[in-house]
Amino acid sequence: MARFHFDIHENDRFIEDEEGRDLDDDEEVRRLALATGASIARDAFVEGSANRIVIDVRKDDAPFMRVAISLSLE
Amino acid sequence: MTDTTIAALIQRLRTTTGASDDDLRALEALPYTLRNYRENQSILRDGDRPSECCVIVDGFCVRSKTIEDGKRQILSIHIPGDLPDLQNLHLATMDHDLVALSNCALAFIAHSAIRDLIRSRPTVGDIFWRDTLLDAAVFREWIVNVGQRAAHNRLAHIIVELRERLRMVGRVTGDAFAMPLTQEQIGEAMGVTSVHTNRILRQLRLDGVLEFHRGTVKILNEHKLQELAQFDGRYLHSSPST
Repeated sequence: MARFHFDIHENDRFIEDEEGRDLDDDEEVRRLALATGASIARDAFVEGSANRIVIDVRKDDAPFMRVAISLSLE
Repeated sequence: MTDTTIAALIQRLRTTTGASDDDLRALEALPYTLRNYRENQSILRDGDRPSECCVIVDGFCVRSKTIEDGKRQILSIHIPGDLPDLQNLHLATMDHDLVALSNCALAFIAHSAIRDLIRSRPTVGDIFWRDTLLDAAVFREWIVNVGQRAAHNRLAHIIVELRERLRMVGRVTGDAFAMPLTQEQIGEAMGVTSVHTNRILRQLRLDGVLEFHRGTVKILNEHKLQELAQFDGRYLHSSPST
């Protein structure tokens, strides 16, 4: 079991995860970060409120993984 | 002395269906068994074949369905005065789960007693029919909400609806009311992750819309909340003429 924090950047807006949550499976954390990034990106991209979403995951306060999703319109 | 165990149900039916006093007294007189459930305890499981219906006396329940990979969708939130498994009077087998969200007191009434009452007082059957249709109307709105609204609007809508329903049974005091869901459960209701739910709740607090803490919602700005929820309560058909 480890303490994970999911900090979220929506363009320049930074939302720090102060509480965090206890999770015991790194694979579950990976899935959670991907699903969260995709779901926040969906709303933000469609509403036009941001075009880049980054989820920074900390494991016991050390960087663990980053999910970065960018919108590109061509 | 009148038994007030199912008072919330009687209050709700009086308001929403315009049921006669005689019908409501007959409902109040139905024999029941009171049972207590703990937080997260299963009341009925998918596949069960119950022989009774329950009235929520106190506490909150959810109906939910779990798919093969273990993901759960919360289908509806139920509050005191609700009949969350009335459909089993006519549909023998549960096609979803009914779970206690918080510690709950439920009054179980035998299907046979309800059937006998409907036979002797057909207008009680009309009341239950209307209540089942209302249940369906709330489900329709839930589909619209989950399918079409952005997640922060979705959560605002769920919160406003819950407050309107709690108000109907006298469970809202001032700006605050109970919503005993964890962030994970709110996520399961909205079809998003618990982390996304956490992010929305933080934004709602930063924007001064509402605070959610330990299962209690406190509204900070009604105008902003309404703007987000775009709530049109017609689907709750909260008076007999609507």
